[in-house]
Amino acid sequence: MTSRFALLLATALAAGLALAQPRQPDVEPAAPAAPMSSAAERVYELARPRILQIRTLLQAAGRQTTIGSGFLVTADGFAITNYHVVSQFALDPRTYRLEYLAPDGARGPLQLLAIDVPHDLAVVKIDRADLPYFTFDTRALGGRLPKGERIYAMGNPLDLGFTIVEGTYNGLVDKSYDERIHFSGAINPGMSGGPVAGNDGRVVGINVAKSLGGESVGFLVPAKFAATLIERARKGPPLAIDKAREEVGRQLDQWQAGFFDALRTLGFRNTLLGPYRGLESAAPWMSCWANTNADQVQKPRASMSGTRCSSATGIFVSDRILTGRIDFSYSYFKSQDLNAFQFARELSQRARGSAADGDKRLTEQECRDDFVTTAANRPPLRATWCMRAYREFEGLYNVTLMALTQDRDREALLGQLTMQGVSHANAVSLGRRFLEAIEWAR
Amino acid sequence: MGALMWIEVISHHGDVATRHAVEHEEARIGRAFDNDIVVDDAHVAPHHLRIYRGEDGELVAEDLQTLNGLYPEHGAHRVARLSLAREPGFRIGRTTLRVRDARHPVAPEKLLTPPRKHAQWAGLLGGILLALLLALQWLNLTTQPNASAIFLPLLGFVTALAVWTLFWAILSRIFFGQAQFALMLRIAVTACIALVLWDQLTETASFSLAWREARDYSGLGAWALLGAACYGHLHAIGPRHMRAAMTLVVVLVIAGAAVQYFGRSETRRIIGQRASLGELRPPAFRAVPLATADQFFAKAENAKARVDLARTKEPSSGLFGDMDPFD
Repeated sequence: MTSRFALLLATALAAGLALAQPRQPDVEPAAPAAPMSSAAERVYELARPRILQIRTLLQAAGRQTTIGSGFLVTADGFAITNYHVVSQFALDPRTYRLEYLAPDGARGPLQLLAIDVPHDLAVVKIDRADLPYFTFDTRALGGRLPKGERIYAMGNPLDLGFTIVEGTYNGLVDKSYDERIHFSGAINPGMSGGPVAGNDGRVVGINVAKSLGGESVGFLVPAKFAATLIERARKGPPLAIDKAREEVGRQLDQWQAGFFDALRTLGFRNTLLGPYRGLESAAPWMSCWANTNADQVQKPRASMSGTRCSSATGIFVSDRILTGRIDFSYSYFKSQDLNAFQFARELSQRARGSAADGDKRLTEQECRDDFVTTAANRPPLRATWCMRAYREFEGLYNVTLMALTQDRDREALLGQLTMQGVSHANAVSLGRRFLEAIEWAR
Repeated sequence: MGALMWIEVISHHGDVATRHAVEHEEARIGRAFDNDIVVDDAHVAPHHLRIYRGEDGELVAEDLQTLNGLYPEHGAHRVARLSLAREPGFRIGRTTLRVRDARHPVAPEKLLTPPRKHAQWAGLLGGILLALLLALQWLNLTTQPNASAIFLPLLGFVTALAVWTLFWAILSRIFFGQAQFALMLRIAVTACIALVLWDQLTETASFSLAWREARDYSGLGAWALLGAACYGHLHAIGPRHMRAAMTLVVVLVIAGAAVQYFGRSETRRIIGQRASLGELRPPAFRAVPLATADQFFAKAENAKARVDLARTKEPSSGLFGDMDPFD
């Protein structure tokens, strides 16, 4: 793997990383902060009474397990936060409960009214109606905010106290299926769900994630999704907490249906590796990289060159499950001086999927192998289909399909299609397409 | 005139302590010195037993109305008279005896395998095993060849084999009287060859037949082979108590297989599972016809049915219970 790829991988992983759980905050000496503008002071004064700290409490201990931020958006106590701030409660309301901490020191219970899992948003309601609230920036709602605009992220990082961070609006992230704002500024765990506002104190987006690979690269949920969710929460019936899991499952299912429709609509293209061709998505938000083992210090006995295209989508479901990613990866192996047995052995060691954790929210993996031919003029394949089911969300699976060409004994193309949180029908449909696309280029 | 019957006094360990020839048709056994066989046992009467030929010509033991009486060797019920044709052994007091008719047929002469022969076999098989292991090491070598990568594991293996053989040789020295090192080595090497071949066979079958389970459950076969090896070693030490030895081996093998099985599911549960193509062989090893995509996805349907079934069940807590502190 090249360092470039690793960098991207870290970014891709971080794109959905929870900011809400500073279990053991690492304190590092901070660099001296740039002088704050007077605008920041004004925004701070304005925002302070409108922001909440949102705590997930362990019922049995009465103490918080995670903290995040939230902000009031209506006169009657509706507030916006991230879904990942309230996910423990939503998935397991018998173990956890929610509590808010208002700027005046008051505490109280929170009601969970609506969730938007794909955009990582939730609407909660406090039990009082006397607090001021934020409004949304209409330019941001219409997507007309200019790049470079000063914006201010707020929240309670690492439970250190209410904080304002000056940063820059950098438009939407280019390669992202779900819209995300690129915020150049330091946001940290605990600020999740906090508002990001412009000079006038109107909300532009919601803190959601930061990059682990880069410096001060943060991601925000655009305000328009929060505005939509508030509308839904006001009009529709409130979320029944014992049905929250079903709702999460329903939203994930709906999201993957839309995602696979988009994949089909945007089409596919061929990728060429050695004498073989494979399939890739032509979607503009797929991020593709190449890698090789040519620069290894000890000269490899089988050369490998590979490509990997990832959707870089990551939907937070619970603190150990990110879902919604899809990867097309191909590696072309050619033996330098390995015999057929040694080459097969080398392939056995290389043909491994990414490590999947043993999360209880997923079943154990089941795999099926076979030798497959898709057409007489295409190379025969050794294919393996591995899947795990989401225990709580019926009809959603993590699927890995691997295929290795079997026409020659000292060179081979290994294709791997990874799909997370996918319906069986979509997985089979794309899987079949993936197998049928592996062909000879010459 | 030759012996008409032989009377054997059996030691507490079960082997023959002394053997007496009786040259007349009747023999008397007891503590008194006018008996044919004198038994030094306080629980035996001075004149305890009479052995004579019954009307059918077979030997019979008769209790001479003693306090402690007569018991079949393996029986719990006192008898007044015991026919020795079927079961030649009996107990009086704390002493076990067997009476053999001089006409009693014995097993034919067994061929003696001289220790040198065992040593030759052990050497030959050891050579085959080493060649096999070297070949496998070489076939599995995918990095630049270097001597230590090939020979170091081999050295470890040879050491383990020597320790194993030595262990059985010491047991044999204690219980059998001779170390029988060559025989033990021959058994151990044979078992190793069988294990290596079994491992290769299951690995190849899982590829050639696209049959993943062959690999998943090959451990059970390996445990059975290990059990067979232990049985062979025990048999070489002595054919007595084979039933107890067999039971012990079976219990050990089942326990080992169970620990391995649960350990495996535990590993899978905690550190998760990676998708993989399994152990691969060159394409020429394929032994099943190519499936169509339809057939392949029909097989995948079966995996779906399995995970769908698993999702409705509680996750198993495994051998060591729930070790996750956060749930």
